Amino acid sequence: MITFSRVSLIYPHSTTTVIEDLSFEITEGEMVLVMGHTGSGKSSLLRLINGLVPHHTGGILGGEIIVDGKSTRRTKPGELAGIVGIVGQNPLSSFVTDTVEDELAFGMESLNFPPDVMRKRVEEALDQVGLASLRSRNIATLSGGEQQRLAIATALVMHPKVLVLDEPTSALDPIASEEVLAILHRLVHDLSVTVVLAEHRLERVIGYVDRILLIEGDGATSIGEPSEILQRTDLVPPIVRLSRALALDVIGTSTREVRKYSEAIRQSAPDSPRPIFQPGEVVISLNEISAGYAEKIALNSVSLQLRQGEITALMGRNGAGKSSLIKSAVGLLEPTSGSITFGGSLAGRDICEVSQRERSQLIGYIPQEPGDLLYLSTVAEECNRSDRDHQLASGTTLAALHQMLPTISPQSHPRDLSEGERLSLVLAIALAGSPVLLILDEPTRGLDYEAKNRLMALLHQRAREDGTCILMATHDVEIVAEVADRTIFLADGEKVADGTTLEVLLASPAFAPQVAKVMSPRPWLTVGDVLRAQSSSQ
Amino acid sequence: MKPFHPLTFWALFSSLTVGVIAADNALVAISAVGGAALIVKFYKQDGPWRMSFQWSLIAGAVLLLIRAITGMLIGVPRIGDVLFTIPRISLPDWLPGIRIGGDVTWERLSSSLQEGLIIATVIALFGAANSVTSPHKLLRILPSRIYQLGVTLTIATSVFPQLISSISRIRQAQFLRSGRKPSIGTIAIPLLEESLARAVYLAEAMEARGFGQSKSQSRYRPINYAPRDLFWISIGFISATAMVAL
Repeated sequence: MITFSRVSLIYPHSTTTVIEDLSFEITEGEMVLVMGHTGSGKSSLLRLINGLVPHHTGGILGGEIIVDGKSTRRTKPGELAGIVGIVGQNPLSSFVTDTVEDELAFGMESLNFPPDVMRKRVEEALDQVGLASLRSRNIATLSGGEQQRLAIATALVMHPKVLVLDEPTSALDPIASEEVLAILHRLVHDLSVTVVLAEHRLERVIGYVDRILLIEGDGATSIGEPSEILQRTDLVPPIVRLSRALALDVIGTSTREVRKYSEAIRQSAPDSPRPIFQPGEVVISLNEISAGYAEKIALNSVSLQLRQGEITALMGRNGAGKSSLIKSAVGLLEPTSGSITFGGSLAGRDICEVSQRERSQLIGYIPQEPGDLLYLSTVAEECNRSDRDHQLASGTTLAALHQMLPTISPQSHPRDLSEGERLSLVLAIALAGSPVLLILDEPTRGLDYEAKNRLMALLHQRAREDGTCILMATHDVEIVAEVADRTIFLADGEKVADGTTLEVLLASPAFAPQVAKVMSPRPWLTVGDVLRAQSSSQ
Repeated sequence: MKPFHPLTFWALFSSLTVGVIAADNALVAISAVGGAALIVKFYKQDGPWRMSFQWSLIAGAVLLLIRAITGMLIGVPRIGDVLFTIPRISLPDWLPGIRIGGDVTWERLSSSLQEGLIIATVIALFGAANSVTSPHKLLRILPSRIYQLGVTLTIATSVFPQLISSISRIRQAQFLRSGRKPSIGTIAIPLLEESLARAVYLAEAMEARGFGQSKSQSRYRPINYAPRDLFWISIGFISATAMVAL
């Protein structure tokens, strides 16, 4: 279905090749995962399949790409619209019309399909993704998961032979992500659609894919069965790390398989729970805060106390009120009722009484789009700015950044950094003033495992050594399992669970991390937990 | 409720605009805005364009204020009741007839207020049209022969409402970074970058979905004029004619 023969790609005004001498073949009805570090050219590779690269972006393409018998070199992306459906990273910015039905019809109208065919296909696509009840809704009012499903449906109405998806689950909560993957699985198995997707959260997709295309740091690529490819890379999901750590006979792509081989440790090892962390004094307390409008309540009387040195994860489905809670805690959103008070040296002071200047010293905030904070032209300038803002000796922030990430060049432009590097820069800036409270909104989106490990190490060190209180809203159960001491669950603006990460994650099957699924019913969330249990049994 | 024809309210508000400009009367202008407000109240659509009438009212008010102030400060002297006097700046001899400052007469103030009001009304009517008919709907009835224009306009109309939400998001984030009110420049850089990326992304998505591929476009739902469309369009024509005749 898709054949790449000796493909190389170089973008204009660039001296390095994005892809070099890549050859592979994907057959009909296969589901292939493209994986690699951030910036390894995954997105470029995906967009080569329907010719957006180089027709739309410019650049020089070497070699030949044949999709369903057509060469993308000679065929424009528009002419491939009926063959290749592409779903980008951010579906909301790819929608052209206002309502669900109109959006589905858009592509077919452009290709001048007769109205009766269109109606049939719209119905079909709505059923395939389960959006039939939302057909006349305005797109802006859909949840993240619904938008992602709509984006897939807009590709499906064209009856494509190939479906290309760039990080389809990165913005979704675990439940919505399961729904999307189940749809893809069905397409591959029932309709023999060829699916090519890129995804960083391997734990979510690894059980579904037939083959993996791995792009390594040096540009070398290989394609093969998951079990074969995962043997050779460091970018592996927790389940593979688990089977490696326990030296099992399987590589570990499915829960069922690894479960079978790890029976012994589940039987013999003692629970040996992780030591419960004793946090310090209260840093901030939210007292029965509510927020939202009459018709839509974002938060309903939520009370919360965050303490020194404690890492708290805030979880819940898209639209559960996580963002509202975070915005209230940093003082951007004034709650309609309730109060927020600081503890510690500011004992009892209400957030409204603390000046914005003081607040920015107390609270470090990492927004969902870290790039929002950056506006200077080099990394060094951004760091100097931060030194001045916090009245620090010149070079302090840059030194902190280098400690986090030695490879970063001070002269590079913040826009040219990878997601992981940009997050490190923003963290260095936010932490420069040694805030007592660090708040992160969805920090792991678009991060590969390496960058994620770096983030986890930093959070842990900050919390334990400097006593910073950390609150992190995230959909990423794996990072929660690794670093969070405490997990809070929101649903429909209400706090439905608040306890140690172990209790909360084990209680909810949908939000359980991969290792916990394998080791159920034993109380282990991470590879570290399992190893601790193992060593204490010996 | 079945949606109106996309052109209905644009026709209505365009004719009102013509009428308001031709009548050049403050009372007519105010009643046109009042009528528009009622129509927006009953027929406004969901989605990001819903608020454009409110935004256009604010923009109009700002313009009115600016027009009133400049009208008082600069202009050809007018004879009439002097309301108050502001210091006059003397200009060189070769600039006769123009003056800055001086006596502010009632005639001078009211004429600049009226001018400002007409401009504000035109803006408000445009905003009202956007509130009741999303520009996206309007674009969908464009013939695909004008492909490039269609892409450009769709991008402009999609990126604009997102721009407003991005501005407040970036402002808030930067406010928290330094505790100071961020300047326009510091907001503009991430904003421009994001908007550009969005525009490119949308253009790509449209192309990948075959927009402009076929010379003629079919319609998922036939777009016809219903009696109530004709009702509103004729209301527009009648009131415009009445205003012109005034």
